[in-house]
Amino acid sequence: MWVAAAVGSVVLLSVAQRQEGPLADPDQAQQRIGFVDQPPLPLPAPTVADGLPAVGRPTVVLFLRPGDAAGQCRDVSRRVASTAPVVAVLAGPASCPGAAAVRVDPEGRTAAAYGMRVPVDGGPPVGYAIVDDRARIRYRTLDPDPAGNSREITTILAAL
Amino acid sequence: MTAAVVQVRGRWRLCGWCAAAVAVEVGLYGSYRGHDARFHWFTHFFVGAATALAVMTMVVVRRRRPVARPLVWPLVGHVIAMAPDLLFTAGYAHQRWMNLFLGHIAVHFVPGRNWTWLAVFLTALAAYLTAVDRTRASDGPS
Repeated sequence: MWVAAAVGSVVLLSVAQRQEGPLADPDQAQQRIGFVDQPPLPLPAPTVADGLPAVGRPTVVLFLRPGDAAGQCRDVSRRVASTAPVVAVLAGPASCPGAAAVRVDPEGRTAAAYGMRVPVDGGPPVGYAIVDDRARIRYRTLDPDPAGNSREITTILAAL
Repeated sequence: MTAAVVQVRGRWRLCGWCAAAVAVEVGLYGSYRGHDARFHWFTHFFVGAATALAVMTMVVVRRRRPVARPLVWPLVGHVIAMAPDLLFTAGYAHQRWMNLFLGHIAVHFVPGRNWTWLAVFLTALAAYLTAVDRTRASDGPS
């Protein structure tokens, strides 16, 4: 019975880990951890565009690739913009409806300044950072589908 | 025959609570899969089940007989370990005090990640099975 449990567990864990997508964090423990101020946070948030993030109001900073930017921007903005403005950092030119400000950053300098991790495929990060009303980064994570998980964004915003 | 136990071909028993425990685990896994967060299901399953198995081992050694409904104990351990995730779904972000739930946050960051917890789980399972075997051996004919 022990051998069966061991073999079964190893197989299940191996299969599950191989199913993680190319946009996932190579270290799954770092992805969508669900609590603010994981060290070394909080850290000062660099300005992305148009003076945002700014002191006085929390901000959601989205990191997106051009291919799915429009849908993600529209859906995330629709769901959280009443709580916090959405600022988008795009890895290439694309439309981003609903965003309060957009920065196109193909070299990834902004993502690096925010300490965003590199996903499995080695490309630009897809995820978000949450900045509090004192312009400090309180939360950051890769998330292949921020819009689909937008309730997590509102939960973290509520925890600031 | 009870509602929980069904005789199949006169030999194999399909127990209702075993099937229920497995079904609940499959459901829990499905809920994490939907969030693209299978990693967390494994972490909390291994930690919760290993804790339950440790308690089960102590109970077996003390009472000198196997525990009743052994698959339910790991399920209960798992649910305790993942309770903060249920709170998160309800809109409450994780906080440090939630480590009270079998180290809900801290357990993610051990070296080796889930492979470490798999080893802990299998060690706890081996200890439980050994305790059960010894109990049966000591109760059997000499």
